[in-house]
Amino acid sequence: MSATSASLRISASSLRAHKRRFAGTFFAVLLGVSFLAGTLVMGDTLRSAFDTMFGRATSGTDAVVRSADAITTPGESFGTREPVSAALAEKVAGIDGVAAAQPDIQGRGLLLGSDGKPIGGQGPPTLAGNWIADPQLNAYQLAEGRAPKSHGEAVINRGAAKTGDLKIGDSTVVRTPDPLKIKIVGISEFGGEDGMGQTTFTGLTRADASKYLVPKADEAASIQVRAGPGVSQQELVDALKPVLPKGVEAVTGQEITEESQEQISGQFLSMFTMMLLVFAGIALLVATFSIHNTFAIVVAQRTRENALLRALGATRRQVVGQTMVEAVAVAVVASAAGVVGGIGIAAGLGALFPAVGFPFPEGDLVIKWLSLVLPFVVGLVVCVASALHPAVRAGRTAPLAALRETAVESAGASRTRMIVGTVLALAGVALTVYGAASGPSVMLTSTGAVATLAAFVVMGPVAAAYAIRTLGAPLRRVTGRLAKQNALRSPKRTAATATALMIGVAVVSLFTVFASSLQTTMNQTVSRSFAGDVAIQASGFGAGPNGLSPKLAPAVAELPEVDSALGLGKGVARIDGSGRELTVTDPARMPDVLDLGTVEGSLDGLGTTGVAVSEGEADKRGYRPGSTAEFTFTDGTKERFTVRAVYAEDGIAGDYVVTRAAWQPHQLQDSDTVVAVGFKDGVSEADGKAAVEGVAKDYGNPEVQTRDEYADSAAAGMDIMLTLVYALLALAILIALLGIANTLTLAVHERTRELGLLRAVGQTRAQLRAMVRWESLLVAAFGTAGGLGLGAFLGWALVKASDSAGTGAFSVPPVQLTVVALVGLLAGALAGWRPARRAARLDVLRAIATE
Amino acid sequence: MNISAPVLTAAAARVIDAVKVYGVDDTEVRALDGVSVDFPAARFTAIMGPSGSGKSTLMHCAAGLDSLTSGGAYIGDTELSGLDDRRLTLLRRDRIGFVFQAFNLLPTLTVAENITLPMDLAGARPDPEWLETLIDVVGLRDRLHHRPSELSGGQQQRVAVARAFAGQPDVVFADEPTGNLDSRSGEEVLNLLGRTVREMGRTVVMVTHDPVAAAHADEVIFLADGRLVDRMQNPTADSVLDRMKSLDVQEARKP
Repeated sequence: MSATSASLRISASSLRAHKRRFAGTFFAVLLGVSFLAGTLVMGDTLRSAFDTMFGRATSGTDAVVRSADAITTPGESFGTREPVSAALAEKVAGIDGVAAAQPDIQGRGLLLGSDGKPIGGQGPPTLAGNWIADPQLNAYQLAEGRAPKSHGEAVINRGAAKTGDLKIGDSTVVRTPDPLKIKIVGISEFGGEDGMGQTTFTGLTRADASKYLVPKADEAASIQVRAGPGVSQQELVDALKPVLPKGVEAVTGQEITEESQEQISGQFLSMFTMMLLVFAGIALLVATFSIHNTFAIVVAQRTRENALLRALGATRRQVVGQTMVEAVAVAVVASAAGVVGGIGIAAGLGALFPAVGFPFPEGDLVIKWLSLVLPFVVGLVVCVASALHPAVRAGRTAPLAALRETAVESAGASRTRMIVGTVLALAGVALTVYGAASGPSVMLTSTGAVATLAAFVVMGPVAAAYAIRTLGAPLRRVTGRLAKQNALRSPKRTAATATALMIGVAVVSLFTVFASSLQTTMNQTVSRSFAGDVAIQASGFGAGPNGLSPKLAPAVAELPEVDSALGLGKGVARIDGSGRELTVTDPARMPDVLDLGTVEGSLDGLGTTGVAVSEGEADKRGYRPGSTAEFTFTDGTKERFTVRAVYAEDGIAGDYVVTRAAWQPHQLQDSDTVVAVGFKDGVSEADGKAAVEGVAKDYGNPEVQTRDEYADSAAAGMDIMLTLVYALLALAILIALLGIANTLTLAVHERTRELGLLRAVGQTRAQLRAMVRWESLLVAAFGTAGGLGLGAFLGWALVKASDSAGTGAFSVPPVQLTVVALVGLLAGALAGWRPARRAARLDVLRAIATE
Repeated sequence: MNISAPVLTAAAARVIDAVKVYGVDDTEVRALDGVSVDFPAARFTAIMGPSGSGKSTLMHCAAGLDSLTSGGAYIGDTELSGLDDRRLTLLRRDRIGFVFQAFNLLPTLTVAENITLPMDLAGARPDPEWLETLIDVVGLRDRLHHRPSELSGGQQQRVAVARAFAGQPDVVFADEPTGNLDSRSGEEVLNLLGRTVREMGRTVVMVTHDPVAAAHADEVIFLADGRLVDRMQNPTADSVLDRMKSLDVQEARKP
């Protein structure tokens, strides 16, 4: 028999004999790999689902005629285009090779359900448009009923009908944003589905769409064109080009599809997948610690066995090989299981996201080879690399160790460790603080953060002894004292076990602190700049608010309780070359309801060529009162605006404020995003709010918020994000928990005789269980405390480093962090459960007799 | 120096018709086959017998570490078979002391902590006067704050003896207490056990295979094939050795 097969045989029998020892490693790899594979599969699945959806929406469209110029503002990728003349459709229809041409008159339309509440509006767009008669050009198909024929008739998509409990024959309201009473005459579907993801669509007659959805009649977002038989998309576009007016382009249906796909897959999905991959990385990092720890303990426990092998003539390589073979075997099985698990996770998440309101289209799972191979390889590498160091140590076992009493590794912190750790910690903290405080520089801070994390890992064993003594100080009863002594036995092992939890808790705390600080900042900004009593806000975020009727503000102003009501709308223009959002309002009245801080210059009399600019933007681009800027609007007109005022607070006002008169010639859809209302003296908040709500009811019933509610709503989106982050990080905590449980199981195994002795001299089972659980809890407390400290510190650094203006708030949310701490401790208590039960089941006689 | 002198006639521990069977059917082994024996209070009793005679099993069953298949085991008047695990544990903690062959001490605790461990587990305060006396008798006053790993094997066993007697138990069971020691350290430990019985009136039951060790006892009982075959008062190493030899001969003659 060859030497290799002997080594293999020993590994195999060892694996069989110690299945339990490797259970923790197995699950750590399995979970990490599952998450990674799940992320990749889900990314591909979503991408494909979106692609299919867009392909479907435009499949019958061979060419699109639209304005060539799109103005994009930061944070918005679709861009805003000037409408084209709807009448162009008729002109295009007459060209050779065109089978059909229809204008696409689109706007926002928030549909109200049978209960009077808006359908959707919390993310996916709520759209309205003309019902395109040509079924091939229309992305929607009639499922029931008929197309709208006369004023007030509408077709809604089946998803919206289901959510809003609406059916054919019902009457309801669509906010365009002016409320339009409609009667539902048809239900549509989107390629056989209920709709385009969670998007709602209300199809109106062309006349209604022209009248309500666009500010000027005869405006359409684009013209959809279908080619005649035998005419290719490119031939069609070539035929269209000569007849189009200046500034209007024709693009193939193919290009439109690709554009949409690029916008969703390229930007949104990449970011989303990237975020998930980061969490998969964190999970695997945590797993690395657990795996390394398991192998280190197993090797330590096997010192005598390995020494015996060495004494009997096994080479160093054979001993190393034996451990590595075990690692590879566990890695292969766990990674393979992980890949399968990942597909399950992807399927599960696919079902979960729509349930929590994420606007993802449905589709079959897309499983690419890369999504299977990559996680498998990563799992293999992580597991094998983690086992490498313990394996090499196993190889160094001296044959003489077989003769000595087994010394379970008890090495404390070495001098080198102290020095390296201290230097790393000092450098890391210094760099982080320097990067955060001066500059600020995200680069420096990140480098510092990594160094600090490394310092925490290196210093773990040093800190473990102090921390366990401090945390265990209140444990005076014998059970607790024994637990404390056990945790102190190998600071290295305790630290390695706790590190996994520490990293998990640190990342959770970091996100918590960061999100809380952002929320506080947003909240402060809004409450600082809002001087009114209530605000009426169009619901929705993400895809953009749905808009309020411009008639709402004047109507509210009529109320006897109201001193002033100011509507603020949004516009867009390219200012000195870069796209920017404009706030469209009555600037002179802004100080009534908004606190603009110090205003340099005058907000009165901006006229049609004046603009007010925020201080931050003015500083950035060098504007002063009196300087001029060139505005290019979507319709292609260029106008020179003079800066009349510079104001400090941009929380609500935004960066550029122009008058309604200046915006009017260029506007797309007339709407306000918020109406700020100030009450007369002596009007109570409740009375005033009730009165305003009474008026708002006739304008589609938008939400009326008090100061505090308004401020809170600014940061509401963050909570959903945070929930998702928590859900993902729970995985890292779970892996850490497995690590603690595994270490304890191994420790219990190692201390069989001690436990037997304790039982013989009178420790009850309950006391024994409590002892193991206390140890688990102490290790978890150490990890949690370290993680909270590290997370809070790095959170602070991140807040400061990413806040170049220096106006951001730093907030440590006590409630959330307490919850995080409790979760960490609970993880510890849970992790100790099984090992404690196993230890308590121990047969006293067998334990005493164990050689 | 005699602290308390229990009534000499009472049995500190006893077993009646003790039967212990391991395995079933073909693999059935009768480790104890109807043993009845008293361990009188304030006496030092040694249990001897060849390997496999059931001497360790007898001790484990008498001390509540193992249960009998049939028959009864008593500590004082308490029948052990009627007790659940918890009550047995409490009984061991409060009324029995143990000295094992090896691994008697928790490595994480100091000598002093090891000695008071059973009382700490009970949440009871040790009798300080008794504890001081005990520490002097075993001669470990200067080692109280050391860890077991800093002690020699003999010192470790002496700590174990102190631990066994610290709670003033009804009876102390010692399982080959000198098995891992050199003869001088072994002698020290045996003298210690002898002194606690003769000077302090304690009760000791010791399992051993060493005639020299058995000679320290007041009485030796001999087991063979799970049966009680002989008792010997005031043994000497030679008399014990002779008896053992004759037992071995009987073993060899068996079919």
